[in-house]
Amino acid sequence: MALTTAPDPTRRGPGSNRAHASRRGPGHLRHSEGLAGYVFLSPWLIGLMGVTAIPMLLSLYLSFTNYDILTPFSEARWVGLANYERMFTADPSYWHAVRVTLTFALIAVPLKLVAALGVALLLNRAWRGIGLFRGLFYLPSLLGGSVALAIVWVNMFNRDGAFNSLLSLVGIQGEPWVNDPDWALETLMVLAVWQFGAPMVIFLAGLKQVPTELYEAASVDGAGRFRQFRNVTLPMLSPVIFFNLVLETINGFQGFTAAFVLSNGTGGPVDSTLMYTLNLYITGFTDLEMGYASAMAWVFLLAIAVLTAIFFSTGRFWVHYSDGEDR
Amino acid sequence: MHPATPPTTDTPVGRHHRTPRPRRRLLRGLLAATVAAPLMFGAAACGDDGSAADPNAPVKLSIFWWGGDARAKLTEDALALYTKKHPNVTFETTWQANQGYFDKLATLTAGGNPPDLFQIDDNYLAEYAARSTTLDLTSYQESGKLDTSKFPESLWQYGVVDGKLAGLAAGENTQGLVYNKTLLTKHNLPEPTTGMSWEAHIAWAEEVSRKTGVPGTQDPSADYKAFWVWLRQQGKDLYEGRELGFTAEDVTRWFDLWKGARDRRATPTADVIHEGNSSDVTKQLVVTGKSATSWVWANQMPDLKKNTKDELGVVAYPGDPSAQWARASMYWSVFKGSRNRDIAVDVINFLNNDQEAVKLLGTDRGLPSNLDLRRVVSDDTTDPAMKQSIAVEAELTQKFGESPQVPIKGHSKVKSELIKAAENAQYGRATTAAAAAQFVEACKSAIA
Repeated sequence: MALTTAPDPTRRGPGSNRAHASRRGPGHLRHSEGLAGYVFLSPWLIGLMGVTAIPMLLSLYLSFTNYDILTPFSEARWVGLANYERMFTADPSYWHAVRVTLTFALIAVPLKLVAALGVALLLNRAWRGIGLFRGLFYLPSLLGGSVALAIVWVNMFNRDGAFNSLLSLVGIQGEPWVNDPDWALETLMVLAVWQFGAPMVIFLAGLKQVPTELYEAASVDGAGRFRQFRNVTLPMLSPVIFFNLVLETINGFQGFTAAFVLSNGTGGPVDSTLMYTLNLYITGFTDLEMGYASAMAWVFLLAIAVLTAIFFSTGRFWVHYSDGEDR
Repeated sequence: MHPATPPTTDTPVGRHHRTPRPRRRLLRGLLAATVAAPLMFGAAACGDDGSAADPNAPVKLSIFWWGGDARAKLTEDALALYTKKHPNVTFETTWQANQGYFDKLATLTAGGNPPDLFQIDDNYLAEYAARSTTLDLTSYQESGKLDTSKFPESLWQYGVVDGKLAGLAAGENTQGLVYNKTLLTKHNLPEPTTGMSWEAHIAWAEEVSRKTGVPGTQDPSADYKAFWVWLRQQGKDLYEGRELGFTAEDVTRWFDLWKGARDRRATPTADVIHEGNSSDVTKQLVVTGKSATSWVWANQMPDLKKNTKDELGVVAYPGDPSAQWARASMYWSVFKGSRNRDIAVDVINFLNNDQEAVKLLGTDRGLPSNLDLRRVVSDDTTDPAMKQSIAVEAELTQKFGESPQVPIKGHSKVKSELIKAAENAQYGRATTAAAAAQFVEACKSAIA
């Protein structure tokens, strides 16, 4: 690194008189230290600017153009609000994708959180070997957005997949799940719910934070397990629930990999798995309408921001922070 | 050894009073680098449009295609042959499956890093040509640097978009109906023949389903190339100029034809049809054993054969075979901004007209475009599947009709909309008429 080989300005030696001269005053020193601060920040700053901020702003600009990827964006034509207009008034598949995504998130996210909380409650004990179970339950979410997992899913849930073989043992003839437009999205939901590891771990940590004296007091007052759960665990856990809800909702809306792999990148069968991000991808990269796709991305960003704002504004009614502050 | 003496030590300080202090110099350097780096990348991305002046200067040509291992091997061998003859030219080869190929090509182009030379097909040629991504090869053709004198005229013309030669046919193919010979022989069933009517084909498929338990034919209603052949037999076409060459009524009749076939159980169920609608060779129903026939390109025979133990046969699509044409199975195109475009064109010429190279490549990308060499390769071929596809093409060459125009910009969307509409009808989620109307509507906005 260039920084580590830089000569020390305070070092005694041939150049020391010059180095000394640089100390003109405290103000100047502070200024150059501030600059040094930015230099040390630069790896992150360059990353933020280059990888996130600049491309984002660029995509905002492109969303007002007819940029098609193949021609340089300096030649993209300004079309004003046409992309946004088309999205809201003239593109049925856009609204179809919105519906698919909402359906997916509305069902998969709550189920995933319930599963995560349920398993976290089960695993919140001091049994021997419980660590192993925690690890096992967490495993699926490590495989997360992986393509391999989605491929396994496709093979498990088609007409002659493993799942139908199981069903046939009990005499049920299964559907061709992933290849059936009535079931493909549900299959994706199951996959999402099954990967409940990340929120589960956070729930577990939250459960461990609940002071045991609250439970003791509650049981002295004659509260049963259910009442303890409802009146102690849930309120104490509400910040964690809130956190998981916000995070998982955002994740849910952004679901892409599984839908992409399951449908060979088409959103099929018959657009049943056409998630918002997949539609955006197809629009940008297959149909070569990157300007329009950028507009979709910005509407998506705003929608998620609004949704998160709604969560935060309703949070004060049900999220209980036990830091003494009355919210 | 004497310790190294800094050269500045004994220089009078006064003379160097303007030398930046080390720390400042460092900061400025870093800042400069920070500011300059994106500019440099930006400049690099813009590319240099001066062609290499020295013909013997070392050149690394990037080349990108889709295909399997076998194609990669053949292509790399042929390129190695080029390097042997022109030691200053080496290749940076990239290849992948067809699935996702065009996404990647578009991304590379957007990133200012497109390959010098790339494989493309008629589904995308117009998309790229209309956006001036491909180099117009006309001047090379006129100067003879790109020799098409041995090509069938209609074949190289199938690479002309808006008066520009946007790609040169890397081979010729045509639609091929591939069937499972082993299955038919086992059940003593007749093989399909070229020129069979659509009605006869469906009746035959129904018979196959009944006798073998394997659905007789994949339902090709989602397949644009089958739809296209059928349209041409009705005196229509996929495109007329910048318009659609068909109406919603035509589509309804096409969907009804296959709804009838499904009702007669000549085809698999909708979910299996959906599996076969993938462009992936390994998922074609004739090799997965889920139907007795698949609708493919004739040159895919060897690839299909690799995925099944059964014997396969190939004939033309049903109906009058003059609706089929000598199609450029795929093209080689040169990126317009390529610094090495002259060499890239020379490589295309080599891959198409050099006897050794063409013999190496065989019929993997379709029948060789150069008719003289096509004969040589046909005589030499030993692969039985390849022989079959050559035989059917040779037979059809006598019957081919005129080539249609290259599909227009928006075609990739038209293809995916056809799949969507056809599947809507197959799954019974829409009537054939409603699905057809939806398809035509979507097409109109796709090609607008």
